Amino acid sequence: MARAQNPQGRGGQAPPPPPRVPDKWKWPEKPVLIGTSVKRLDAPDKVSGRAKFTYDINRPGMIYGKIVRSPFPHARVVSVDLTEAQKAPGVKTALVYKELGSECMYQGDPVAAVAADTEERAEDAARLVRVRYEALPHLANVEQAMAPNAPVVFMGGNTRPGMTAESGDLDAGFKQAAHIVEQTYSTHVITHVCLETHGTVCEWDGDKLTAWVSTQAVHGSRDGYASGLKIPAANIRVITQYMGGGFGSKFAPYSEGIICARMAKDAGVPVKLMLDRKEEHLDSGNRPSATAHIRAGVSADGMLTAFDGKSWGTGGAGATSNFPLPYIYVFPNRRRAHTDVYINAGQQRAMRAPGHPQGCFLTEILMDELADRVRIDPVAFRIKNAPTQAPNAMWRSYLETGAKAFGWEKRHATGDAQSGPIKTGMGCSVHQWGGGGRGSRAHVDIMSDGGVVVKVGTQDLGTGTRTIVTIVAAETLGLPIGAVKAEIGDTNYPLSGGSGGSTTAAGVMPAIRWTTGKALDALFARVGPSLGVDPETLVAENGRIHVKGNPAKGLAWKDACKLISTEPISVDGEWGDGLSSTGTSGVQFTEVDVDIETGVVKVKRILTVQDCGLVMDKLLAESQIYGGIIGSLNFALFEDRILDRVTGQMVNPNMEMYLLAGMSDIPKIDIMLMNQPERGVIGIGEPPTVSTASAIATAVRNATGATIRSLPLHPHKILQAIEQEKAGGTL
Amino acid sequence: MAPKDEFPEKSERFSVSRRNFLKTAGVGSLATAVTSVGVAEVEAQTGPAVLGPGDVPIALMVNGKRIDLRIEPRVTLLNALRNRADLTGNKRVCDRGACGACTMIVDGRTVYSCSTLAIEVQGKQIRTVDGLAKGTTLHPVQQAFVDTDGLMCGFCTPGFVMATVALLERTPNPTLEQAKKGLDGNICRCGTFVRIMEAAMKAKGVVRG
Repeated sequence: MARAQNPQGRGGQAPPPPPRVPDKWKWPEKPVLIGTSVKRLDAPDKVSGRAKFTYDINRPGMIYGKIVRSPFPHARVVSVDLTEAQKAPGVKTALVYKELGSECMYQGDPVAAVAADTEERAEDAARLVRVRYEALPHLANVEQAMAPNAPVVFMGGNTRPGMTAESGDLDAGFKQAAHIVEQTYSTHVITHVCLETHGTVCEWDGDKLTAWVSTQAVHGSRDGYASGLKIPAANIRVITQYMGGGFGSKFAPYSEGIICARMAKDAGVPVKLMLDRKEEHLDSGNRPSATAHIRAGVSADGMLTAFDGKSWGTGGAGATSNFPLPYIYVFPNRRRAHTDVYINAGQQRAMRAPGHPQGCFLTEILMDELADRVRIDPVAFRIKNAPTQAPNAMWRSYLETGAKAFGWEKRHATGDAQSGPIKTGMGCSVHQWGGGGRGSRAHVDIMSDGGVVVKVGTQDLGTGTRTIVTIVAAETLGLPIGAVKAEIGDTNYPLSGGSGGSTTAAGVMPAIRWTTGKALDALFARVGPSLGVDPETLVAENGRIHVKGNPAKGLAWKDACKLISTEPISVDGEWGDGLSSTGTSGVQFTEVDVDIETGVVKVKRILTVQDCGLVMDKLLAESQIYGGIIGSLNFALFEDRILDRVTGQMVNPNMEMYLLAGMSDIPKIDIMLMNQPERGVIGIGEPPTVSTASAIATAVRNATGATIRSLPLHPHKILQAIEQEKAGGTL
Repeated sequence: MAPKDEFPEKSERFSVSRRNFLKTAGVGSLATAVTSVGVAEVEAQTGPAVLGPGDVPIALMVNGKRIDLRIEPRVTLLNALRNRADLTGNKRVCDRGACGACTMIVDGRTVYSCSTLAIEVQGKQIRTVDGLAKGTTLHPVQQAFVDTDGLMCGFCTPGFVMATVALLERTPNPTLEQAKKGLDGNICRCGTFVRIMEAAMKAKGVVRG
């Protein structure tokens, strides 16, 4: 599973059976804060520019690092001469990163680095580093890598057979089929385009390193520095108070972090090394491509019978490209074989719902083609062939609910028969994601002045972690949101996993709930005797601690905390089972306009029905959903990493030719957020970004009557597909 | 109703782009690329005034305060403020005028500060996101972003806030289409557009030019 690509949690070792959270600290039945719309607590810092991201850290005496990278997609490093660079104005240090004689496997592979007193001078000096390369044969795309006469660029071959899975009786399945569709479907490579590029600020004090890192994993990054620099993890502190987007690409220091730390050590002053936009495109991850040649059968009454798929994709130079296929729907007889294809391009990294958008697109276009063969409405066809309804598999009812709310009954058959160049269409798609998470620790202090501090070594990527940590602690203590301070984003705080795979909420919030509960129990133990009651009878509500059902018999929070004198309440705790689960489901509907004269698609509106278990903060959960949908709209219509097929160079490593949606491209988006409080926390980061591209593509098909079997839906491809359709080609 | 040219393309506002400037700098005559009237007058009297390539003294009026710096003429307004004056509110993202994260307001008009040289905005009133709030009291646009959750990671936010402020100062009651056009020069990767538009609509009528 693609989830395995996510270095979430800590290491892969099997954990001991987890402790169970006592019933006393299960989620409240009538929460005051949880599930309401609490405003993002750090929003004032972010809108005012006060929030200090890694990019914004300026340390006394700090200098700037710049990496020298291979301009070739494949080359051997013959020699590196730093002499001229070291003599350049302002240069304080320089190093060779790539071992001489070794090979650069992609454009942008780091070779050397310099650091100077200003960024401009560091850039000048980087240009003075003399690297001699021996250019070697390269593979610029999957077709070149798979060609029978391709040069063998990767040891062991350019392709690597991955897993094969088979179940049922394929032959029997195809015999039951009244119709068979056989086609090739594909998705493209996109990059993460984190607005804050990857990078770090490194500062040494003797043998101790403090690193500000733009990361999704402060603890994981500490481990990365420890192994990369061969120093004890105990000597390293990683800080990430604010970070400007990761989307799966920021779990470690990577080469830029290690280079920065080494140069800071050598120069004896702090070094800031942030990638520029081109480096970010070339060497900080991407979403692998996916292609599948699929043969699938459907019975006369519209039941799927068989699926036979051969898939391949590239995750760049020596990286995997697997994805789930077929996606979600029940094919009783199925076979699927996958092959990884290596090309000379930067390696993929997990990207928001790794594998799922690809598998979803390949399957959903196929589903629409099959539905048309048996002349069944696409929503009805999906409902017929979706897995049995379950709390983590709600597609059947969500499709019905969503179709009704969206006005699906107004959808016309494939191909808008209206005259004029603007064709309108509707599409839909379904998705799933695991989410869940475990293993975080936490620390809670309650002070005698009534102050509460919650410490946890997680991080806030913009998902709202800082806010929901505060919500859970305040809810537990019966306090207003402003009475609790959450401290996160620092390895000085208790161990917590990386934020990936929609695991942070479910991995952290149970630890916050239980640890805060333990701290409250400690306070009850002081309050009970002073009230002359059994501490077990006490509750914390509305800023008071009182006997359950008798608010008059109690103390205001501040007065209760005065009972804490010489011994502060300072409690460590951990994640426990029982407050979270895994498995989300969702569906999306889109309506588009397609101009068949220009090929331009305009998405008019999107509706999603989505669950995520117990909603922590409605406002923030909705923001995540908007964000996922817009990310997927970009995947469908705009983004494309384009490598020149001759030189292997990326031709759009910027933000004006690498296209992303702007305000005018954003449709009306309606969210039906389905709360499932009984399931506990699950997570919402990935699910909404899976379906949108597929729902747009099926809507474009419905509008134009032409089937576009590959992303992105760029105008020229749409015009081409329409021409083919006119020639009787695409069905 | 505001006329369409209320929202000119940002890149049209300066006759010298950074790349053109550097190209010109490369062949030796810097002053020809500097379009401020003052320099042109000096040029007429004494021939081309050559600035750089080393540090030169400059004075910038930022958020109502004078900042004196010694920088190379090639340093952008964004880098000068972020790296030399620790005014890090506005962000560097694309570094070539495509994404708007660096948006500042210079003499009432939005500029991409990553593609504006510091030396060319001397004598002008420069506003950055850092100067928008009065103490802990947020500007109405900032408050609207907070109230609607018009942000996630927050890295595009300063640019969007500045673009929204500029929009509403010029067009206090924009239509939805006008607001979209006014904010089309900015990109958000987390996908906060829906709520940024809500914020802009919430703040409209409150901001005075």
